[in-house]
Formats: sequence, structure tokens, C-alpha cells
Amino acid sequence: MANAEQNVIDLLDKLAVKIMMIEPGDLSAVGELLDILEKLQEQAASLSKTVLQQMASAVQSALQQVIMGELSDSAETFEQFAECVSRMQEVLRDGDDAGVMDKFCGHLASIGFKITLAEILGEGASSSDLSVVESPFLKDKELLECFIEETADYLGSIETHVLELEKNPGDSEALNAIFRSFHTIKGTAGSVELDDISRLAHATENLLAEVRNGVIAMDSSVTEAVLNIGDALQSMVDHVQEVYEKGISYSPLDVGPYIVIIDALMGKLEKAAGVAPEMPEKETDAPDADEEKEESLDFLNDVDLLSGFISEAFEHLESIELNVLELEQNPQDLEIINNIFRPFHTIKGVSGFLNLKTINKLAHMTENLLDDVRNGKLTMDSVIIDIVLGVGDTLRTMIQNVSDVLEQGPQAYKQFDISDYLEQIQETRSGESSIKTVNKQTASISSPEQIQEAAMPNPVHSEIKPASSPSSAAIKPENTSSASQAPRKKSIEASIKVDIRKLDGLVNAVGELVIMQAMVRHNPIIAGLSDPKLNKDFAQLTRITTDLQKTAMSMRMVPIRQTFQKMTRLVRDLSKKTGKKVDLVMRGEETEIDRNMVDSIYDPLVHMMRNSVDHGVQVPEQRRKAGKPEAGTVKLSAYQKGGNIIIEIADDGEGVNTEKIRNKALERGLIQKDSSLSDYEINNMIFLPGLSTADKITDVSGRGVGMDVVKKGVEKLRGKVELQSTPGVGSLFLMYLPLTLAIIDGIVVRVGEERYIIPTIAIRESMRPNMEYYNTVQGGRGETLLVRDTLIPIVRLYQIFGVKNACTEISEGITVIIENEGRQRALLVDELLGKQEVVIKSLGGYMKDIKGVAGGTILGDGRVGLILDLSGVISSTDEIDSTGTV
Amino acid sequence: MENTENQQEKSSHGLTKLAGKYLTFELGKEEYGIGILKVREIIGLMEITAVPHTPPYIKGVINLRGSVIPVLELRAKFNMEAQEYTDRTCIVVVEVQGESGTVMVGMIVDSVSEVLNIAENEIEPPPSFSGSDVENDNFLGMAKIKGKLKILLDVDKVIGQSGLGKLHEIT
Repeated sequence: MANAEQNVIDLLDKLAVKIMMIEPGDLSAVGELLDILEKLQEQAASLSKTVLQQMASAVQSALQQVIMGELSDSAETFEQFAECVSRMQEVLRDGDDAGVMDKFCGHLASIGFKITLAEILGEGASSSDLSVVESPFLKDKELLECFIEETADYLGSIETHVLELEKNPGDSEALNAIFRSFHTIKGTAGSVELDDISRLAHATENLLAEVRNGVIAMDSSVTEAVLNIGDALQSMVDHVQEVYEKGISYSPLDVGPYIVIIDALMGKLEKAAGVAPEMPEKETDAPDADEEKEESLDFLNDVDLLSGFISEAFEHLESIELNVLELEQNPQDLEIINNIFRPFHTIKGVSGFLNLKTINKLAHMTENLLDDVRNGKLTMDSVIIDIVLGVGDTLRTMIQNVSDVLEQGPQAYKQFDISDYLEQIQETRSGESSIKTVNKQTASISSPEQIQEAAMPNPVHSEIKPASSPSSAAIKPENTSSASQAPRKKSIEASIKVDIRKLDGLVNAVGELVIMQAMVRHNPIIAGLSDPKLNKDFAQLTRITTDLQKTAMSMRMVPIRQTFQKMTRLVRDLSKKTGKKVDLVMRGEETEIDRNMVDSIYDPLVHMMRNSVDHGVQVPEQRRKAGKPEAGTVKLSAYQKGGNIIIEIADDGEGVNTEKIRNKALERGLIQKDSSLSDYEINNMIFLPGLSTADKITDVSGRGVGMDVVKKGVEKLRGKVELQSTPGVGSLFLMYLPLTLAIIDGIVVRVGEERYIIPTIAIRESMRPNMEYYNTVQGGRGETLLVRDTLIPIVRLYQIFGVKNACTEISEGITVIIENEGRQRALLVDELLGKQEVVIKSLGGYMKDIKGVAGGTILGDGRVGLILDLSGVISSTDEIDSTGTV
Repeated sequence: MENTENQQEKSSHGLTKLAGKYLTFELGKEEYGIGILKVREIIGLMEITAVPHTPPYIKGVINLRGSVIPVLELRAKFNMEAQEYTDRTCIVVVEVQGESGTVMVGMIVDSVSEVLNIAENEIEPPPSFSGSDVENDNFLGMAKIKGKLKILLDVDKVIGQSGLGKLHEIT
């Protein structure tokens, strides 16, 4: 692999040299070029670099046309070919970047060879080689995990901010946040070689840049586009995760349609402003590149001086940063401005002397900018502060690179594109744009540390880097603004990433510790001792283990914020669709839930929110008639109460129509005409499948599936859900969830010699059955117990589990009334042993999917007890007894 | 390359690979051996929690220092007559390849004998027991040591995939 990579690099270098040396009219030399291109295509194919392969093939076709005389073989033509080779080098080094490829097409177009971007990418995507593109991003799992996790975060924040922006179109903070997020996604996707994602993010970033520059208005079409792109990216990330977890093959996203939309939106801008967005970049790129070529040879002349400069410059930059931050507090303090000005001046001077031209130029421009501030031509504002900080960061990375070159030789040299900064400083100085903020420039920071970090665990990347020869053109910034800015902006929350398995291991071990501690303590010999010191020590030990357990558990907890944020979008879309006005109020987003629960509560939440918006909140006229404000309010809150997390969804709509539910339930034979059920009980029947009260089925809800899904989903998490409704005032959904999935509250029961744990949350009551209420069906094949006017089928646990020596007389046992998925059963057990919190253990891959058993746990005496899976228990009785008395 | 390896394995039943250390144990009058690298530990008999809806040879689960692991009765697995447990009865905990990574499984055996170093030339491929209800797949080979036959078990086969398949069939 590494060899092939090196071959490609060598071939490209060779190609570049040959093209440079070629004389117009020398057709045999052109033939040589064709040979090299042929080899290049082979190598690129073997590396699954389809885009590069397509590029090489395009150049080859163009050269063939030159030989055929269809294209002129002038010096200009070969210049353009040389440019094409440079672009190919860039693609090889930086991944497929739409911008670079665009230029590539441009070079070929300028000599009369027509090729579109789509041909390069499209052919690449549809060619048979695709199957060979075996998810290159899978190479580096750590990086990929990081990417998946981060991108999900960013997409969440994008959505939130887009919605914010929609409410408040002038909110430049929100716009910047969106821009930053896309930028970061672009960068990280590029670094894991997810080119489709990177391209889409890049295009969106361009679009947003125009919005930020005020060229395009942030109107509904842009909002819609950005949201859709966010969705597309989310589904891509999900797909990537699937690929990563399940090892299925990766099918890249067809970004074409999105790019078309973006182009259309950007097209508006071109008409409006008459400027091609990419133009300025192109102009500045070329001269920069030339300059740097000379520079890279020059500055190594005086090593002593250079190393002196490096260490000094770092100190200067440190002091600049400190002072800038101070300046933020006192923007008018001239002394501080001077303190910033001086180090820039020094850096400018020394770098100029050492022929470090880019650094010199950047420092010089910044110095000019600061000079204007000092002279009162400009006022120090946040824009300038951001520029100065950004420049500081960039200078640091550039100087770091110089120091790398000093240590590792010229091949470590990197090029930096500072044109954005220069432009921005220029604009700021001429007072053109004060809207532009920090992000524009950070977009062009290339920070080698980050690239290196990203590349380190990845052998292929590190192979490429040293080879990026000084002759290659500017390194495109791939890294993120947030990484360099975030530490300053956010409060620092130190955290480390830990493998979830290690965490689970820790939680398990702590669980064991708690049990062992209890076992030791209740050991008859120790329990018989009455030593006060021992008792005190035990109390202390208990405290410590409890603390430890709490801490271990809390490590798996995450704030519910992200899940809640997704609801914002949902409510927005729903209210648009239904033509209702809805305000979403969120509370308690910081409430923490078990990480493993996050995904599972999403669906139930969506259904409940839909229900609240679609059925709960009325349309504006109705609301006006009812004397309510036109806009309905849906309150989403989370809090912890006792051993539960409670999520509430409250709307101020009309409430649930109890009569309607009663009629529906009667219709479906779920209740008797004369049954005396409370309104609360009737209302909660909406959680039964097929019981929708909606008059019409909309595409939002009404099929009677939603609430059933909610109940099932919540019960799977060993939680429960209930509905409280006040007619005319609104309805309230309450979702009770366990604090953690690792521990459940259970009742330990004995059946024969076996002990089972029944989850407490499913237990309604337990009793010694009164034989007066005992009835049989079909000669005893079906048994029921009448509990408070409800006939409940009896399940003899020993029967379905085949336990010997258990109590078989109903009157001598205990019945535990359980409810699961809306069905009630009376479980016959021998004895209740007590209530206990137990740590759930899987029975292992060898014994999974055993009907009626959810898992095992270690009981107080060290033996294993089985935890009942109630839906399994109930369904296995259905097999035995198919009278179906629900 | 892989092909030739396979052929080699077929021709000599991979007997070269079989040479090594084995833990031997008794079931009735027969002696069995399992590759020592598969063995995690040997523990005395402890209380076993029965699990419903499992094949009869699955005795249940035990608590092995905080992990819940299944235990199977090897006699029942091999359709041998059941025998009262004695103080020599013990559980050999082995690590086998399950569907999702390695899993630990306990096997109840009559008694553990010794760890033997078995050389290549002492191992013969297992004879075919066609026509009987012996599952040929369960055996790696036979070793004759000092006139006594040791049956070398392929634990992955005995309790791994085949065991799982059966388990699902029954439940």
C-alpha cells in the first residue's frame, strides 16, 4: 500500500518534470508522458483512488488530442498540463477537494479540452472500481469514531442554530456557528477520507460564506437547503457508523443534487453581485506559490539565526495572545495595543531578514492594521481582535512548521495560504466590511499539529506528508477553526475519551464490589460480632462503595440536551405542515441520562411530540375562540425524581377527548359497556395499538401506531408512560425512565428452588389469591383471577419454566399482578423474598434470546438469579394457552 | 497459499498443529483432552442456576467472579449416562469462539487428570463413527499415550457453533 502510494508520488513528480522540460512539437516526449499517465492510472486504481485515476485519464485523453493535432501543442498548453499535474498532487495529498478539481477542469477547459467535474467524480463513482473503494475511511478507527461522534454533535448544533437564525435572521453569531460547524465537518470528513461528506460540507460552507458576506440573504430557501443538507449528512454519518460497526460496504452519498441546489442558490448571487466566489482565491494562490518556492530554499541558510528566531517568535506570540485577551477587556488601552504591536514588529523584522516571506508578509500586514488602531484610524473591536488572534495562531503554526523543517529537512516544509487574512485585513483597514468575523480567516489556518495528529495513526497519511515536495503548491487548509478557537471561547471542560467497554467493565466490577461487601457484612460470623470499631469501618466501607458506584454510574450519563435539540426541528417542521403556531419551551436539558438510553428514547419522544402538536395544539382560529393565545406552547422538560428520570411533554391544547376513546375502546371490544373505569384509565388506553382518536389520518399521525410505539419503546427501557389530560386546558405526557440501564429495581421471588427477579416497574400488586375470585376455562386449561373487576389470566411460572418442586396450589402461592405492553397477568410464585436493586448481566452470547429471561444477576449469596423478561413470559403462555384472553 | 495449507490439513488432518499440551479429564472410563490454551481455569462444583428453555445438557449458569457464564454437562452432551456428582467432579472453564467474540463456558467433567505433552507422532486422525450417533466433528484426533487412548476434543465444535445451533432449535 505504502509502496503504491510512493509510486504515485514518484510518478507525479516525474510527470511534472517531464512536462516542464517538454518542447512544443516533440511528440515522442508526449508519448513518454502518456506512458507515465498509464502507469499512474494503474497505481491509482490499485490504491482505489478513483478520482486521481479519472484525472490522469482525462489528462491522457487531452494529450492524445494534442498528438492528433486536435489541440494545439503550444507552450501554453503544456503550462496548463503542468497545472493539472499540480492539482493531481494536491488531490493525492489532501483528498478529493471539489475546489481543486474545479480548477483542474478549468485548466483543461482553457486549452479546449472539455471535461466536467461530474465526469471526473461521476465516472469515478459509477465505475466498477467502486466496489474496490472499500471504505478507505475504515483504516483509522479511532479517527473515525471521533468523526462520527463529533459530526453528530455539529449537526445537532447546526440544526439548532439554523432554527435560531430563522427566528432571528440577523443573528451573525448563529450564522458563524453554522459556518464553523460545516467547516469542521468538512475538515474531519476529509481527514478520514469521506470525500462525499467533505465535498458537500465544503459546498455548503461556500454558500454560507456568501450569506455571511451579505451577498445572499438567509431566506427560507437557504434555510431549507441547509437543513436538508444537515439531514443528508446525518444519514451519511449514520451510514458510516453502520459501515464501521457492521462492516457492510460503504455506498457514497450522491451529493450531486445538493450541489445543484447550492449552485442554484449561489447562482442568485452571481447575478446579483457579478462576482464568481472562487475568483479571489485563484488569483492569490498562484503568486503565493511561486514566492514560497524560492523561500523554501532560502531560509535555511542561517540555521543559528533561524532557531533563535523560532524560540523568540513563540515567546512573542505568547505575549501577543495574553495581551489581546487583556485588550478584550479594555479595548481602548493604548499601552496594551503597543504591547501587541511590538512583537509583531519584531517578528516582521526578523522574518524578513531570514527571508521567511509569508510570515513576514502576514506579520507586516497585521502590524499595519495595529498601527491604524494605534493612530486612531480604526477602533479596536471584536473583528480586529479576532483577526489578531487568528493571525497569532497561524503564525504559530507556520513557525512551528519552520522548526519542523529545521529538524526534519526541507521535505517537511508546508505552504500556508494567508490570502484570506490579507484580504480581510485590507478590508478592515479600508473599512469595507465590518461584518466579517473571525471565521473567514480561521478558515484558512492550516495547523500542522492538527494535520499531524490526524495523520499519525494512519500510515498512509504519514507516507504522503514527507513527500509533499517544496515544489507543490499551497497546502489547503483542512483544519478547523473551532479547534484553535474553542479553548478560548468555551469554558474548559477537561475530559477524556474512554472505550465504552472499559467503562462497562468498571461498572460491572463496582457492582460486584457492592455485592461482595454486602455478602461479607452479612456473613453470619461477622454479623455476630459486636465490635464497634468493626461496625464503624463497615459503615465507612459502605459509604465508599456507594460513592464509587455512583461515580461509576455517572460516567455513563450524558445530558439529554442533544435529544431535546432534535425536537426543536421537529416542532418547526410539524407546525409548518399543520399550519399551527407552536412555541417549544425546553427545561432541564442538562438532566443526565444513561448514554445507552439516548437513542432509544428518541422515537418515543418524536411520537409524543407529534401527538402534542398534531392533536394537542389547536389551529389558531380555534385557539382564539377558546380565548387562548394564537401560538400554542409545548413544554418539554426533564428532571430527576427519586430513582427515575421523568420527561414531561405538556401542551396547552384541548386535551384528550375521553368520550371518543371510550367509544373507540367499546367499538374494539377492549372494555365492557358497564365497566367503571376512571377518565384517567380511559385516557391511558390511547397507548393501546390501533386506538387512534384522530378523525383523519394525516401524514403526521393518526394511524394509531404512534402511542403504541411509545409505550413499547419506553417499556423496553423498563420505564413507563402515562397521560394526564384536562379537557380544554391541555394534556401532559409523563415518561418515567430508569436512571440507568445497568441496574434495575426488582422483587426477588422464589419458585421451587429457583429465584427470579421481576422488575418492580411492571408490578401492579401482589396478593395471596382469594379462591372466591378464581375461575377456570376449558376444564382448568385457562385460569383467571378477578382483581378489581378485571379478569386477569394466571400464569404458573413453574410451568413455563419447568421448575420442579414448586407450589402448585393457587391458594398456597402468591400471585404477582404484572403489566406489560398493556397486558396484565397474574404470575403464580411460591414466595416473595424481597426488594432489591440488581445489576443486570448478560447471560453471554451463548445463551441469548431465551424466552422469558432478560438476563442474570448475582444475588446477595453469590448465586445467579434470572431476571424475567415479562413480554417473553406472557408470549410463552400464549403458546400454551391460546384462548387469548386479553 | 491458503489453498495448499488447506490441502495439507486435509491430507494429514492438520496433525502437526495438534501437537502440544493438553488438559486431560475423565468421563466414565474414557479419557478426553482439550488444548491447554482453551482452558481458562478449573473450579470446583458450585451451585448452578437452571435456565429454562435450554437443552437438557445445559445445566444453567454460574457466577464466575462477577460474570455469569453457562455451564454444560459433558456427559449429557455426549449422551452418556448421568452420574451422581462426587467430590472429584469439577467444572472446566474454557474459552470458545462464539457468534460475537470469545465466550467462556463451563463444562462439568467427572474428574481432571493431568496436563500432557502430546507429540505429533502420538496423534492419529479420528476414525469415522458413521452409523452411530457420534458427532465426528467433535474430535480433533486420538492420542495413544502409554497404551491409553486420549480423545482430543475440539471444544469450539463441542460447545461452540453446533451447541448454539441446537440451543436455538430447541427453544
